[in-house]
Amino acid sequence: MTDLSIQEASEIAHNYRVIRDKRKRRAAITKHLFLAICSLIMVYPLIWMIVSSVKPDNEIFGNISLWPSEFIWQNYPDGWNGLFLSFTVFYKNSIIVTVLAVIGNTLSCSFAAYAFARLEFKGKNIFFALMMMTLMIPYHVVLIPQYLLFLKIGWVNTFLPLIVPRFLAGDAFFIFLMVQFFRQLPRDLDEAAMIDGCSPFKIYWAVIMPLSLPALATTAIFTFIWTWEDFLGPLIYLNDIRDYTVPLALRNFISQDSVSMFGQLFAMSILSIVPIFVFFIFFQKFIIRGIATSGLK
Amino acid sequence: MSGVNLNKVVKTYGDLEIIHGIDLEVHDGEFLVLVGPSGCGKSTLLRMIAGLEEITDGTISIGDRIVNDVPAAQRNLSMVFQSYALYPHMTVRKNLAFGLGNLKMPKAEIAKRVAEVAKILQIEELLERKPRQLSGGQKQRVAIGRSIVREPELFLFDEPLSNLDAELRVQMRVELAGLYQRLGTTMIYVTHDQIEAMTLATRIVVLQAGIIEQVGTPFDLYNFPQNKFVATFIGSPKMNMIEGTANKSGLLLPDFGQISLPKNAPKSGNIHFGIRPEQFTIGKGGDATSTGKITLIEYLGSELFLYITLPSGHVVLVQASSQTQYKTGEELTLSLTAKNAHYFGEDNLRIPLYDEKK
Amino acid sequence: MKKFFAKNGPGYFFLIPWFIGFFCLALGPILYSLYLSFTKYNIFKPPKWIGLENYEFMFLYDDRFWKSLEVTFSYVFMSVPGKLIFALAVAMLLDKGMRAIGFYRALFYLPSILGGSIAVAILWKQLFEYNGVINSLLAKIGIEGPYWLNDPNYSLYTLVMLGMWQFGSPMLIFIAGLRAIPRELYEAAEIDAASKWKQFYAITVPLLAPVIFFNLVLQMIDAFKTFSSAFIISGGAGAPLDSLNFITVYLYNEAFAFYRMGYASSLAWILMLIIAVFTGVAFFSSRYWVHYENERD
Repeated sequence: MTDLSIQEASEIAHNYRVIRDKRKRRAAITKHLFLAICSLIMVYPLIWMIVSSVKPDNEIFGNISLWPSEFIWQNYPDGWNGLFLSFTVFYKNSIIVTVLAVIGNTLSCSFAAYAFARLEFKGKNIFFALMMMTLMIPYHVVLIPQYLLFLKIGWVNTFLPLIVPRFLAGDAFFIFLMVQFFRQLPRDLDEAAMIDGCSPFKIYWAVIMPLSLPALATTAIFTFIWTWEDFLGPLIYLNDIRDYTVPLALRNFISQDSVSMFGQLFAMSILSIVPIFVFFIFFQKFIIRGIATSGLK
Repeated sequence: MSGVNLNKVVKTYGDLEIIHGIDLEVHDGEFLVLVGPSGCGKSTLLRMIAGLEEITDGTISIGDRIVNDVPAAQRNLSMVFQSYALYPHMTVRKNLAFGLGNLKMPKAEIAKRVAEVAKILQIEELLERKPRQLSGGQKQRVAIGRSIVREPELFLFDEPLSNLDAELRVQMRVELAGLYQRLGTTMIYVTHDQIEAMTLATRIVVLQAGIIEQVGTPFDLYNFPQNKFVATFIGSPKMNMIEGTANKSGLLLPDFGQISLPKNAPKSGNIHFGIRPEQFTIGKGGDATSTGKITLIEYLGSELFLYITLPSGHVVLVQASSQTQYKTGEELTLSLTAKNAHYFGEDNLRIPLYDEKK
Repeated sequence: MKKFFAKNGPGYFFLIPWFIGFFCLALGPILYSLYLSFTKYNIFKPPKWIGLENYEFMFLYDDRFWKSLEVTFSYVFMSVPGKLIFALAVAMLLDKGMRAIGFYRALFYLPSILGGSIAVAILWKQLFEYNGVINSLLAKIGIEGPYWLNDPNYSLYTLVMLGMWQFGSPMLIFIAGLRAIPRELYEAAEIDAASKWKQFYAITVPLLAPVIFFNLVLQMIDAFKTFSSAFIISGGAGAPLDSLNFITVYLYNEAFAFYRMGYASSLAWILMLIIAVFTGVAFFSSRYWVHYENERD
C-alpha cells in the first residue's frame, strides 16, 4: 500500500516536472526563434550589400534574392580604381588621419584625466566642471569658428584640422571615462611610487598607464571607429581629391551619377567598413564594456 | 644621523584640525611605534613624515634637514603600506628594483641588491611572479623587501600587518623584530594593535584625538601610565577602573571599603582607582577585600580570566590561575593591595603615590 | 611663487593640452560663434555687425528655418522613442542566463557601430529606391511602395528607420541596467503572484528609470545632431522639398555652400539652445520620475 503511493506520488511529481520543463523549453525555443528572426531583419541590409557587391548591376534593384546569378568579383578591382584616383590613396589618407588621431586622443585625454583624477591644483573643480560642460556643446556650434581659425592659419586642405585637435584633449567623454578609471586605482600605488622616487610624470607613465590598459583601449577603439567613419570633418577641410579620406571618396562615387557603377559602389562601401568590422570582432569586449559603463555612442 | 624631529606639527583639513601641535623626538636607530584608536591621527602623522601629506604648521626634520618642502622622493625614507601597494603590473623583481632604477643606480648594483634582499626575506623563488600570484604573507614580504632594498635612513610602516590573519601576523611580527635588530635603522611604525606596539617598540607614542598622551618604553607605559586614557588603552585585557572618594585617611572604594594611602595623597575629591586583572588576589589578604560572584569565565589555556560582579553591581576582570577550576555563579573573596594600583585624579592625570618605591 | 608652482605645477603641466584645446577650440569658438551670429559674414569681407537681424529674419521670414525645425523635431520625436522601446524590449529578451547572448548582443549592436559610416547611408539610400529592395518586398505582399526618397511625405521615415535600426547602444546600456536589478525582487514578486506585466511596470520600470533617463538624454542629444546620413540620403541639400533639411544640414549649406557664416552661426546657436533646453527639461523632469536607489525620500 504505502509502497505504491510513494511510487505514485513520485510519478506525478515526475510528470509535472516533465510538463514544466517542456513548457519552459517551448518558451525558450519561441524566444530564440523570435530573436533569430529579429537578427535576420537586422543584418539583412548588410548581407544584401555584401551580395550586391558581387551581383551584376541589373540584378541589384528589384531583386531581393540573396544569390547572384553570377559572381562579379571584378567589381572590387574596378571599384578600387573607379575614381580619378585609386582607393590606395584614400586608404592611405584615412590611415594617416586615424592613426594620428588615435594616438593624440589617447595621450591627451589620459594626460588631462591624470591631472583631474590624481593631482591637486588650484581651480581643479572649476576646470573639471568646464570640461564636463563641453560634453553638451554640439560640434556644429564650434564648427564655423574652428573652420575660420584653420582657414586663417592655412590648415584648410591639410590633415592638420583633423589631427591637431585630437592632441588637445577635446573629447570630454574620454577624459571622463579615464578619470573614472584612474580613480578606482589604489592611491597607495601613487604614494609608493612617490616614495620610490617617481616624478608625477613617471607615476603617470610607469604606474597609471600600464594599469589602465582597458580604459586606454576603449578610448583608442572608439576614436578609431569615429575617426574612420568621420564625414563632416573631411567634408569641410579636405577639398583636393588627393587628400580625400575613404568616406569622402565614397560620396564622390554616388555623386558621379553613373548608374552602372552600383556593384562597384557597394564593393567599396564594404571595404570601407571592413576595418571597423574587424575591430568590432576583435575588441568586442572593450566596446561593449565601454558603452555599458559610460554610455558612449 | 637620522633621527626625526617634529616641532609643533599641526594638520588641518579645511576648518578641521586633526593634529594639534605635536612635539616629538625620534632618536636615531630606535623603533618607535605610534599607537592609538582609529582616527587619532597616527596615520596622518606618519604620512606627514613621509611627505605624502602637507604640513599645515610646525616643522619636521629628518637628520639635520628640515623637510617640510622636500618631496617624498628626496627624504631618503621608505614606507610599507597597509595594502602593500605592490605594482600589480610588475614582477616581484621589478617591484624591488623600481625605486633603485629611479635613483639611476647601475644595473649590476641593482641586481646585486635585489638578490641580497630576496635572500634575506626568502623570496628568491618568487622573483618572477606577479603580485596577484602571491599569498598575503608573501606580498607582505615583498613590500618589506621593496622598502629595505633602497637602504634608506628611515623606515615607515603604516599598519603593515593588519591585513594578515592572526597566525601570520605573529610570525611577521617576529620577523620584523629580527629585521630591526639586523638593520638597526630608525623605524616608525603605526598600529592600532597595542600588542604589536608592546612587542616591537623600543618606545611607544600613544596618540589620541591628535595629541600625544604619553611617550615611553613599553615598560613605562604599562607600569606608569601618565593618565587614565593610557592606563586603559595599554594592556590587554583592560585595566579595571573603580571610582573612589578620597578622605583624610585615604580612599573609600565601593565594595572594598576604606584603604589607607601615603601622606602625599589628596584628602578629598574623586579618584579613579585603576587595577590590572593580574593585581587582584583571590582569597583573603592585601589591604582590602570584597566578595563577588563569577558571571563569566574566559579560559585561554595558559591564563584564565574571571568576570566578577561585586555587590554594588560593578563588574571587575580578574586574572586567576588557569590550573584552578571555577564555576559560574560561584562566590569568591577578592582582595587588592594599594601599592599595586594606579591612581588618577579628577583631571584624569596620574597621581604618583608609589612610583618612587617601585 | 616658487611654492605655488611646486604645488600646482604638475597639475597644470598635465592640463596644458586641454587648456589649449579648451580655449582655442571650445570656449573661444563658442564666443566667436555668438559674435558671428550677430553679423553678416561671407569670409571674403570682414564681418559686419547687424545686431539681431539674423535672428529676426530667421524667426519672421525664413520658412526654410521653420521647415528645418519641423523636420528635426519630427525626426527626434519619432526615432528616439522607437529606438528606446526596441532597445528595452530586446534587452529584456536577452536575459541573463540565456544561451548565445553574446552572439545576439554583438549582432544587434553591429548596425550601431557601422551606422555612422557613409557606407551605411549609401546602402540605406539604395534600399529605399523606388525599384529597391524595400519596395520589392512590399510588392511581394501586394503593397505598392511609395517613392520613399522623392516623396516629401515619406522621405523622413527612411531616416527614422535608419535611426531605429541603430538601437544597439541603448540596448547595451539597458542590459547592464537590468543586470543591476536584484533577482530577489522578481522572486519576491513571483511569490506575491504578480503577473509578468505587473513585474515589468512595478519593478523593472521604476528601478530602471535612471537608465531610461540616461538613454533618453543621450539619444535625444544625438538625434538633434544627426548629419551625415541626412546629408547623404538627401543628396547634400535636404531634398526633396526640404523634407530632409535637418537644421544641421541647413546650417552646413548656409556656411559652406553659400558662405553665409553669420546666419549659419545663428542657426548653430539655435541648435545649441534647443539641445540645452531639452537636456535641461529632461534633467528637471527627472526629479519627478527618476528615483535613485541611494536616495532617501
